[in-house]
Amino acid sequence: MSNPLLSVEQVSKTYVSGGGLFGQAKSARVVSDINFSLNRGDVFALVGESGSGKTTIGRMLLRLIEPDAGRIHFDGIDVRALDAGALRRLRRRVQIIFQDPFGSLDPRVRIGAAIAEPILLHRLRPRAQVADRVAELLTLVGLDGRHAARYPHEFSGGQRQRIAIARALAVEPELIVCDEPVSALDLSIQAQVVNLLGELRARLGVSYVFISHDMAVVRHLATHIGVLYAGRLVETGPSETVFTDPRHPYTRMLLAATPSPVPDVVRQREAIAGEPPSPFSTWSQCRFASRCAHRMELCMAGEPVLAQAAPAPRLSACLRAADLPTFAAVDDGEERMTAAYRTRLGLLRHARAAADAEACASPRQAAASDVSALSPH
Amino acid sequence: MKAMQPPELARSPAEPARQNATQSDPMLAVANLRVGVGDGPAIVDGVDLALNSGRILCLVGESGSGKSLTALSLMRLLSPVMRLAADRFVLDGEDLAQASEKRLNAIRGNRMAMVFQEPMTALNPVMTVGDQITETLRVHQGLRQEAAREVALAMFRQVQIPAPEARLRAYPHQLSGGMRQRVMIAMALICKPAILIADEPTTALDVTIQSQILRLIDDLRAQLGTAVLFITHNLAVVAEIADEVAVMYAGRIVERASRTALFGDPMHPYTLALFAAMPRADERGRPLATIEGQVPAPGAMPKGCRFAPRCPFAAARCREDYPPLREIAPAHWVSCWHAPLEEHLS
Repeated sequence: MSNPLLSVEQVSKTYVSGGGLFGQAKSARVVSDINFSLNRGDVFALVGESGSGKTTIGRMLLRLIEPDAGRIHFDGIDVRALDAGALRRLRRRVQIIFQDPFGSLDPRVRIGAAIAEPILLHRLRPRAQVADRVAELLTLVGLDGRHAARYPHEFSGGQRQRIAIARALAVEPELIVCDEPVSALDLSIQAQVVNLLGELRARLGVSYVFISHDMAVVRHLATHIGVLYAGRLVETGPSETVFTDPRHPYTRMLLAATPSPVPDVVRQREAIAGEPPSPFSTWSQCRFASRCAHRMELCMAGEPVLAQAAPAPRLSACLRAADLPTFAAVDDGEERMTAAYRTRLGLLRHARAAADAEACASPRQAAASDVSALSPH
Repeated sequence: MKAMQPPELARSPAEPARQNATQSDPMLAVANLRVGVGDGPAIVDGVDLALNSGRILCLVGESGSGKSLTALSLMRLLSPVMRLAADRFVLDGEDLAQASEKRLNAIRGNRMAMVFQEPMTALNPVMTVGDQITETLRVHQGLRQEAAREVALAMFRQVQIPAPEARLRAYPHQLSGGMRQRVMIAMALICKPAILIADEPTTALDVTIQSQILRLIDDLRAQLGTAVLFITHNLAVVAEIADEVAVMYAGRIVERASRTALFGDPMHPYTLALFAAMPRADERGRPLATIEGQVPAPGAMPKGCRFAPRCPFAAARCREDYPPLREIAPAHWVSCWHAPLEEHLS
């Protein structure tokens, strides 16, 4: 854990609402005492329900929202202390991608110009080379380099998300905050964007703070996980250990509530009840207690803090972290599938590989490939 | 229904052996449903559906597959520019093909009800939810305000809305997303409809709330015997809730089977490709399978199988002739010339 790329300590954000002439001001503490760190190349996923503070934390990392308290360090730089110029230089190294690829691109700007803008702003390439760089970035995200003159409306949702990713990559960032980047996309398109993010990490060494409510995608991409409940981290740890051995009842509830693509899969049926509390609440007990199946009297006496729970880097804000019963992790692995399912998935992979190979060998004839040319073995 | 046979729609192929594979008397039976804009090409093209009491049929597909349009067609809520035709449209023995708008108004919200994805836009923001739900009862069942309120209160309890008396007086914006969806479901079920159409009812909700709503729909159809058409793009939700599944692609049903058969014995290459694109625990970190290309636009449908341009198994025949739905295994219908794949490829 020497020199993390990003470290977040005791970060909080409170909004004050009302309090006009007559009303009494109410303060909503949307995020409290957030602590986590991320090493170069890691993917730290922030998961939790809407209103849990995921997006607020993501935006505070770039100071798109100003934190009220706490420290954020990026590569040793104190992010909260930066002046406007230094902040701009930081945002070359830390980028953000938003959920809605329709809202995040200006409809009147050609995509080439949208991608070129940050390159010019940060003077990363001589003007004459910018067009080439834009084409290179479009190719990198799997689009046609010649499409730079097109407008956003000429692209599908998945393609627009690729354009947003290309624009984020234009400044060669070291960290990208991805705020629900695949939630608005269809399954087949989602797979393409998830693959792209994984590939960029492998090839360029980009790190991600990955904000998502989709546990299957998180399990696929994340190396580390932070589970948020009502503005507080309730559990953190290496991704796979959190999925197989969750040490906070809320994490268990989230996992139990996530539908499994394997029908009749044997799953932990933790009671799934209640709704997240209002951000205007004040707390003198565990925030999850009202929904918790493992609640005891001590949980109402004070708010537990994130502390070590069982094996080393695991942290949980549950007093009962150590004595929670064994968790039956969701098993949707290949051995759970029927023979017919496995056979046909194998055929599909084989045919896809054969079609790809053929497309590479003779792109013009690819369309005329015949199924008789494909044999499963 | 207005007689409509625009050239494009009339050309849809006659599929042999159109029949309902399971029960003899479905609550709602629709055959060869076609929907298009004016005289344009059919967007929903030759869909057969049968909804049975107490059963949940899931209609799955990606955006642009025509699943929401199918739902609106069943409710007869299409915009006036859309044209609808069907060979058969029977609700509980009543032929609705020629039904008047007046008759349809008496049926909608009463015998057939719908739940939408976004309850905030489906509810009236300037009426309390209590007034909205009792209005349904006063219109369809002629109840007086006080009696209607009692029925509404009972329904709120049934969909497990806490503090139901207070919630009846609430405006939609005062409720959470999950509560609003419960209100929508209560409103849809208040007249004990024979048919409930739920169009992505949990897509906008968090997983813990989604799980509660799925369980609620499952319980209610058992208690009330409602036939449910559940539309979703989420295969994991289908695995949780469906009795039967119909997979839609580019306006047509490409595979139809029981949930167990679809997940245990998937046959259509599109269904397989969707399954392969799902992240799975044992393939963590490895590239997910993707589907190359895009869903064809309504005006540019391929001549043969609509999935052929994206299908790695496509052969010359697939590009020429549309494969009709064939019963490959008992009650398992597939629209693919190569089904079952392993027999045709070896």
